Amino acid sequence: MADYRNPMLGSPLEVKVLTRRFDLANSASIAVYVAHEGYQALKKAFGMKPDEVINEVKKSNLRGRGGAGFNAGMKWSFVPGQTTKPKYVVSNADESEPGTCKDRVLMEYDPHQLIEGIVIAGYAIQSHQGYIYIRGEYRYLMDILDRAIEEAYAQGYLGKNILGSGFDFDLATHTGAGAYECGEETALLNSLEGLRGYPRVKPPFPALIGLYGCPTIINNVETLSNVPHIISHGGDWYAKLGTPNNGGTRLFCLSGHIERPGIYELPMGFPLRQMIEDVGGGVWHGKKLKCVIPGGSSCPVLTADEIDVPMDFDSLARIGSMLGSGGVVILDEDTCMVKAAWRIMKFYAHESCGWCVPCREGTHWLKTLLERFHSDGGMPDDPDTALDVSYNILGKTLCPLGDAAAMPMISILKKFRHEFEEHLKLGSCPYEKRAVNVA
Amino acid sequence: MGNILKEITNSATALAKGFSITFKTMLRPTVTENYPHQPPTFEDRYRGLHVLRRDENGLEKCVACFLCAAACPSNCIYIEAAENTAAHRISAAERYAKVYNIDYNRCIFCGYCVEACPCDAITHGHGFEISAYDTNALIYRKEQLLEPLPASAKK
Amino acid sequence: MAEPIKLSIDGKPVTVPPGTLLIEAAKQVGIEVPSFCYYPGLSLQGACRMCLVAIEKMPKLQTACTTVVTNGMVVHTDTPEVANTRKSMLEFLLTNHPLDCPVCDKGGECELQDAVFRYGAAETRFLEGKLHEEEKKFSNLVYYDRPRCILCFRCIRVCDEGMDVNAYGIGFRAAHSEIIPNRGEQLECEECGMCIDICPVGALTSGTYRYKTRPWEVTYTGTICNHCGDGCRTTLSVRNNVVIRANNRDHSGLNGEFLCVKGRFGWDFVNSERRLKSPLLRKNGKQEEASWEEALTFTVERLKTILAEHGPGAVAVIGSNRTTNEEDYLLQRFARTVLGTNDIDHHRTADFSSLVRALTEAGATDRYATIEDISAAKSLLLIGNDPTHQHPLIAYQIRQAVRQHGARLYIVNSREIKLRRQSSQYLQVKPQGEAEAVRALAGQAPAAQDLCAGGTGALTALADALKKESDTVILFGDEIQGQTVNDLVTCGLTLPGKTRFVALGDYANSRGAADMGLLPDTLPGYQPLSNEKARERMESAWAAKIPAAPGRNIRSIFEGIRAGEIKALLVFGANPVKTFGLDNAALTGLQLLFVAELFRTETAELANVVVPAASFAEKSGTVTNTCGEVQALKRTMRQAGTRSDLEILLALARLFGQRWTYQSPEDVLREIIALVPGYDIPLPSLLVGRAVPTHPEGRPPALERPDLVFSSRDSLFTSGTLSRYSWALNSVDEAKKPYGHAF
Repeated sequence: MADYRNPMLGSPLEVKVLTRRFDLANSASIAVYVAHEGYQALKKAFGMKPDEVINEVKKSNLRGRGGAGFNAGMKWSFVPGQTTKPKYVVSNADESEPGTCKDRVLMEYDPHQLIEGIVIAGYAIQSHQGYIYIRGEYRYLMDILDRAIEEAYAQGYLGKNILGSGFDFDLATHTGAGAYECGEETALLNSLEGLRGYPRVKPPFPALIGLYGCPTIINNVETLSNVPHIISHGGDWYAKLGTPNNGGTRLFCLSGHIERPGIYELPMGFPLRQMIEDVGGGVWHGKKLKCVIPGGSSCPVLTADEIDVPMDFDSLARIGSMLGSGGVVILDEDTCMVKAAWRIMKFYAHESCGWCVPCREGTHWLKTLLERFHSDGGMPDDPDTALDVSYNILGKTLCPLGDAAAMPMISILKKFRHEFEEHLKLGSCPYEKRAVNVA
Repeated sequence: MGNILKEITNSATALAKGFSITFKTMLRPTVTENYPHQPPTFEDRYRGLHVLRRDENGLEKCVACFLCAAACPSNCIYIEAAENTAAHRISAAERYAKVYNIDYNRCIFCGYCVEACPCDAITHGHGFEISAYDTNALIYRKEQLLEPLPASAKK
Repeated sequence: MAEPIKLSIDGKPVTVPPGTLLIEAAKQVGIEVPSFCYYPGLSLQGACRMCLVAIEKMPKLQTACTTVVTNGMVVHTDTPEVANTRKSMLEFLLTNHPLDCPVCDKGGECELQDAVFRYGAAETRFLEGKLHEEEKKFSNLVYYDRPRCILCFRCIRVCDEGMDVNAYGIGFRAAHSEIIPNRGEQLECEECGMCIDICPVGALTSGTYRYKTRPWEVTYTGTICNHCGDGCRTTLSVRNNVVIRANNRDHSGLNGEFLCVKGRFGWDFVNSERRLKSPLLRKNGKQEEASWEEALTFTVERLKTILAEHGPGAVAVIGSNRTTNEEDYLLQRFARTVLGTNDIDHHRTADFSSLVRALTEAGATDRYATIEDISAAKSLLLIGNDPTHQHPLIAYQIRQAVRQHGARLYIVNSREIKLRRQSSQYLQVKPQGEAEAVRALAGQAPAAQDLCAGGTGALTALADALKKESDTVILFGDEIQGQTVNDLVTCGLTLPGKTRFVALGDYANSRGAADMGLLPDTLPGYQPLSNEKARERMESAWAAKIPAAPGRNIRSIFEGIRAGEIKALLVFGANPVKTFGLDNAALTGLQLLFVAELFRTETAELANVVVPAASFAEKSGTVTNTCGEVQALKRTMRQAGTRSDLEILLALARLFGQRWTYQSPEDVLREIIALVPGYDIPLPSLLVGRAVPTHPEGRPPALERPDLVFSSRDSLFTSGTLSRYSWALNSVDEAKKPYGHAF
């Protein structure tokens, strides 16, 4: 039986870059960090020009680990060099995607790796202030991070004239109040400014007009944690770890009906079938696989026939899904997909910020419709209505939350339509043990 | 000769034909109504005096939306709206008709008001004896138009 | 001027200035792009998603309200995809929207209703139960019905950005989101009702209008608000001779959609039960109801006796700040030619005369600022006054100027006024120090060290900043009067560009009263009585003699009454007992006190004769706002028993044997246009509802004494006599806050 208290079960197939220090005792302390190559990349970066740092990151093909997979170096290069305004680096630690829990361990086991990445990013765009925006539910990580920041200040890795380079950088943590929406970068900025976490109209993008109207880069915790390794070992080394255009390794969070759920660092492009069968130990209790959500609940689902795919951004996009934030959720053959869809939609209906119409009303509609459908009140038109409603949300919302809700819904409705028909035919859920309920 | 015979048969046929109608009609129910000695009968869709309906709780159905007045081609409906309060509840919605007058001097019984009503509050009843010596008496007020409280709602 | 942008919308070529939003560009060629959350002048939301249009070379539909046009853009608003999107957005909106249109106040003028009619989605596929919330009462004037709300956030934005009150926020999340007020369950705000006006659906409803009628059942008449001196255009909704709502329905005129609490709710004095409906005549020491004929005949007989016994010097007239220009003009004609006295004055709330004289002497009579100039200004200097309370529209326009195009606002005030939030420099001076500050700015007299908080350095900084600005609009209150106005104008005209001026006076026609010569020493159009030519001109037009000697000003009139020299006082639409704090004994020496009023005021209580006058809603005519813009009042209703001041004056003149030929206010206006300098306004512009600026020119005598010009310091919720009879204005808790309270 797996040890559920520790998500880092380990697998011989892992390629440890980000997690290399995780096994060390007291890995969150600065002493351990410095003893194991810590803050070496920062020293190296100070020896480079800011543009060279950006180019190195570009070369590494490091793509945003938050879900959208945008090239991180490219994002940095959009920040205007000449501006009178202050610039900001924000680390997005509002990890709220169901199925994803990688940032948590990165901050818990190796906070200095993140801090170093942030300072390097700050140096690359010549910013002097950074923020780590942590989701409200990760309250306990605040203490770990605050302690790490304190240590970094004490040892001169933060503050004025870092390592005698003449570069100043300040870093602070800020906690959200528990909104999925605040993981969206502009909503995060609003929340950070003390406003309600509503997304902003884009363009302008945060790289030009971000926090307090100033140029800002916002990167996922995992993205920034990768930066010290890229600088230390070079962009080319990092790029070679993965597949073309998908540099490096990635923390995959295996969860659901799998034998060994946990967080595994695997190279980009790792085959999904191997990930499930060899790394995760296969579907639990020897059952058959029904469906995989490859990158957190907002990604279109994959059926058991579609899992022969390398896990990188481009390959998954080719088969109509997304790599997302690396939350791989495995559903076994006994799972009711209607119920799964309802559970996903319940989440989005609850987390929709309420700003724009299609997402606010559409998720609520889908949630109530699926709730009724699953509790034996289905109507023949319902699957079509739900599909149409999902398409009416898709691509029409202000921020990607609407798409995130519509995409899994559409894929389930298309790929598992027969399950909806079964519900209609039976007048009840074929997967639930009706007898128990009757008794 | 043949002519006479033909004439007789023709006459007999004509008589039989004519009387057949007479006898047939004799057996049919009477169409003529003995109004005013007996009450007249109406088709269901007869458009007579308006009736303002109540719902099952005895509350007025009219919410004073003014759509009947807007639909009225002879402009004979006059309404004043007021807001319901918890203590003084007349209709089920937020608003009720404080004043509801129909001027039967002008009404042409076209039924547009009934068509327009979103609450089925105004209907045509079968009342028709509305002649009066004074035109003022032809302006019917809400109290005259409302259907009586159902027995169940009476206290 | 930057190159215009060329694009095509539905195949129609469009040329617009750079920076134009796509939705506005479409409007220019008559293509409607529906939207709920977009509102011109407010920040962009992209929340309702109704305005999604197809733009070539863009993968997804784009919101027209947030897209800035670019050259060569090809836009389609008529594709099936766009049509389907609109329909689906409406379907989404209607999922939790109750279809209680028959009951909803907005039914008939609802943007959502209109959109559903036009773009479909009347049939819903939503089978689930709708979310319901009970209606909430935010204040006596504002109610909120959550289920009807489509969360376009217009109310929040207009309150934040337009009003700078920030009374609203958003509570809860997702489909349960709702608008919440700033103080628990209650609003604490200026109660302007802009949120109600701007609400596209019936979510926010007005406490005075709700559930009273339907929009197509009332008659709408555009007229001018009668409260402060800003002259907002308003549309009165009248049914059965009762006003039930005021809002600037067509957003025309100088105020657009703006109205303050007085304009939007404070009209209800018109319907007050306490309105005078019949003349009152004092018999045996008691005021009793009398007929109009009786009351007027008595007045004229008594006047004739007094004139015969004591001469014209024994009769004085006090005019109003609210009556129309026509009435004011006739009143002074009546006083000067029929009664033969120049003892005529009114409660002056700003020193308009000195401004006219100063600008005339400087040869700069093109420098009167209009309301539009204020909102378009790049730089504003506000001296004294608290526009937020006394001039809500001007305060709004100042905020617009600052917010929309970054105008700089400089304030000199002895109190901390709310507009300080918008100011770039704020010079707080010691109490009553505004005039001294102006004299110091003008270099007339050195400032005392204790004048302002920052010492004289702050004053110099202000002067330096002003010298760098151009086209400054200078606004000043009653704190600046007499010679100081002259100093201010002289100094202002040396600033770069075209400096413009506004004197801020209190009531609807304060400016008109001064323009029309309700002054003891000035004929209409600021022509001094001493100017023989001007006098002769009026004399020949009126075919009567005008006494040449200046009459008594309002303070001297009271002194004359006390001294027993004045035996008869005629008061039209004023309440001097309250305004000037007179004691009851002050007027007992009179043999005749005639009052034409809407209500039984303190002055009316002392009168021998009280006649019920018509309110602004019941008469036509013109009024001039504090900026000198003339606008037309239009009669919207009748109030049995009352007569307008014009009718009263014509009746009095007739009883005096005068053969005046005026048939209507328009006849008087034609005479004003012909005779009053500065009032040669085009009549058609006025009749179509425009505000016509005037440029009076004249050299009226200097201000005699400092206690003649003073403002009533009305707050947002008070308006002299009228507000005392308004239920709405007295019903809100905020009215109990002191003058100057910033929300």
